[in-house]
Amino acid sequence: MSHLKLISFVCLIFLSSNLLADNHSVILIKNATIITASDQGTLENTDLLIEDGIIKEIGKNLKTNDGPEIDATGKFITPGLIAPHTTLGLQEIELEAATRDDSTDHYSAGFSIAKAFNPASSLIPYNRAGGITSAIVTPSSASGIFSGMASAFKINGALMTEPIIEDIALIMNLGGNKDSRASTIMSLEDSFEVARRFSMKRSSIMRGDDFDFGDYSIRDLEAIQRLLKQEIPLVVRANRVSDLLRMIEIANQYEIRIIFAGAKEAWRIADSIAEESIPVIIDPMDNIPSSFDSIAARLDNAAILEDSGVKVLISSQSDHNSYLSRQGAGNAVTYGLSKEAAIKALTIHVAETFGIADQIGSIEAGKDADIVIWDNDPLEVSSFTTKVLIDGENMSLMTRSKRLRDRYLEKLGLN
Amino acid sequence: MRRFIHCMFSLIFIINLTVISSTLEASSEAEMMNGAYQSTYNPDPSPKILIKNGTLLTGTGVLLEKSSVLIENNRIVSVGSDIDETGATVIDAEGKWITPGIIDIHSHMGVYPAPSLRSNSDGNEATSPTTPDVWAEHSVWTQDPQYTLALKGGITTFHVLPGSANLIGGRGVTLKNIRSVTVQGMKFPNAPHSLKMACGENPKRVYGNRNTEPSTRMGNVAGYRKSWIKAKAYQKRLEEYESKSEEAKELEYAPSRDLELETLVGVLKGEILIQNHCYRGEEMAIMLDIAKEFGYKVTTFHHAIEAYKVADILAEQGVCSAMWADWWGFKHEAYDMVWENVAIVDQAVNATGCAIVHSDSAVGIQHLNQEASKALAAGRRSGLDIDKARAIQWITLNAAKGLGIEDRVGSLEAGKMADVVIWSSDPFSVYSTVEKVFIDGHIKYENETVEEFERTDFDLGIIDPEGDRL
Repeated sequence: MSHLKLISFVCLIFLSSNLLADNHSVILIKNATIITASDQGTLENTDLLIEDGIIKEIGKNLKTNDGPEIDATGKFITPGLIAPHTTLGLQEIELEAATRDDSTDHYSAGFSIAKAFNPASSLIPYNRAGGITSAIVTPSSASGIFSGMASAFKINGALMTEPIIEDIALIMNLGGNKDSRASTIMSLEDSFEVARRFSMKRSSIMRGDDFDFGDYSIRDLEAIQRLLKQEIPLVVRANRVSDLLRMIEIANQYEIRIIFAGAKEAWRIADSIAEESIPVIIDPMDNIPSSFDSIAARLDNAAILEDSGVKVLISSQSDHNSYLSRQGAGNAVTYGLSKEAAIKALTIHVAETFGIADQIGSIEAGKDADIVIWDNDPLEVSSFTTKVLIDGENMSLMTRSKRLRDRYLEKLGLN
Repeated sequence: MRRFIHCMFSLIFIINLTVISSTLEASSEAEMMNGAYQSTYNPDPSPKILIKNGTLLTGTGVLLEKSSVLIENNRIVSVGSDIDETGATVIDAEGKWITPGIIDIHSHMGVYPAPSLRSNSDGNEATSPTTPDVWAEHSVWTQDPQYTLALKGGITTFHVLPGSANLIGGRGVTLKNIRSVTVQGMKFPNAPHSLKMACGENPKRVYGNRNTEPSTRMGNVAGYRKSWIKAKAYQKRLEEYESKSEEAKELEYAPSRDLELETLVGVLKGEILIQNHCYRGEEMAIMLDIAKEFGYKVTTFHHAIEAYKVADILAEQGVCSAMWADWWGFKHEAYDMVWENVAIVDQAVNATGCAIVHSDSAVGIQHLNQEASKALAAGRRSGLDIDKARAIQWITLNAAKGLGIEDRVGSLEAGKMADVVIWSSDPFSVYSTVEKVFIDGHIKYENETVEEFERTDFDLGIIDPEGDRL
């Protein structure tokens, strides 16, 4: 190991470890309304103690001599919001293909966007300032019926960001297209068959035996095999109620776990979705019957799903403004969703759905201190963040928006 | 016959010249077109209704607590307290908020309807970069289910524009949010037409991809200027012909009608208002110079992501900006978004700016109050002193100004059209919903009797043959 490498290695350990005494940190937040997104519900006038990046204690009259106290009287605390379906870190400008890494023509199911994630993306500060602390970063499209695999990331902007979990879910679309949706379903079943055969003969194939890969690569088939082994779920982006029902059948037949995304007509079969324990990612504000796949779209989709016992996750349609999921959640409440479920839809439901709830998603002792302090009701459009912590670290809320604002307020004499 | 037509034309032209008021524009052009395409919307006289005890955001910059609005015969009769209830149906709005009907200055409902299909995508005549001859109203599908969704969001008037593929995209139309089989039956009576122009990326991308002009921003500017040069020449021909004696007119042909140039001349005469899709600050400044070169006015810049960078110029020249609260990043010219854009435009040059919050979205139009709320909150966070009474103007009176109809809608003032919205609570809250919408004094939506409100044809039996979509 060269000196330089050694030094950087040591530095990395130093920076990343919470165990070193020098890095011991304690933060006490006092007197907040804490929306825990856990069984504890909402706690008034409550304190939150954070130690070494982890939530240590939630309670009244907590004290510390070790670190700073933040007075949060009159303020609200939620867990950091988790974007359940976004291309954060994969793009800068939507119309500029060279700034986008969310699609490929070369791979199918095996397309893993984790290798492209950019923690320094200019989209991240806006979304972090808006209360997002983690994201399920999701590919848009790939070759064939699959769109690739999503990975979960924290968005603290650290250049050395590693995924919370890499390749956390497989993604596909089902719906009106040039090709019949019957063909999509048939291709899906065929892919399962190829993956199964590949898996049985894997070692001989690796030794050089012939195998008809069809349109797939080894990476693709391994990803599909992980789905079939129930290691990862399949996010099905679909809206039409008959498509959702078809996928429930497929999921039962092949014993795979599925998650619905889009799901504008899901309310029509809310009971069936609840019975199968399928989580549903929706944008509650998207009530436009924008195609014949979503004629039954409506504003109370979230509320109807909740009433039937479906786990609802709330997303924003704009990836640049992934944080606007919060406005969607507020609107869902206006049209009948409970406030508690609305916050959960932005936090713990996402974490549970993607298997990272042991680390993030709620305010509970032992979890990562990914915390947002809001100046008012976090579901209200006029509210905004006053502090965002990721792993107990105070995040800068600065954005290009604020830099530009300040420059021009001064130029215009409005400051 | 030809002589007869010439004679007719010149007679009409004389009539044109005698018309002064811009609001009568429609009638002068209407005569040239034999009264075709005019609004046929003519609401029945509405009953006397007193909405009392509400919190009023009047749209004139005032918030009135515990106040009332009296409407009758399609008009607002009076606004304030202690209004005589005699003979009126009384609606107690205790705890409710009352605003003017919400106006969206930028919509594509009807020309890009839902469901979105190739066969109903009628918003961009993207076959030539300059199409001032097309009119959005000739594309409008009157059964777009998006209208009723917008109505539930309090939208009483909206402006339908052609898309932004073209440098000059055609005429926009102002509609009232009422159900009618004909577009004429939706047209806001005597509202001026607009002309959609587009700066920047869209035209140069659409035509640049075809290796035709324009493919650059300078190509865009050349395109506008070439069009205005032609328009000026046409206007001069018309005026020269008109200045001749009747004998001289007998001896020559009148300039023939030209659909493209008629629209552009309408702009030069101040009768057609420019609605200019434009994102970047320097492009807005160039567009204002083009207007200066040819002697017309830009009424409103739309999208105007960088309006805050030129907010002083816009305020000084009396140009409105219609903006989103927070959209950005979908293209490069939308990259420098600031959350305070609306508030900064509003406050520029001693708060003389004209700020409008628009939707350009069938989702956004349903929640324009929330968009205004986000923009207001951002402005306040950055220290700008703006209250709700002023911010409501962003989606009411200022939008009306941008459409040249501020004398008739946009505020709760005696004599104006009785377009009124009753909200369940403060409309700047996400939890506020629309309880009642009056258009010209008639209840068009009521949440309590949601089953009865008039749906579009599309909504009937589409999910379930026995039922309605919503």
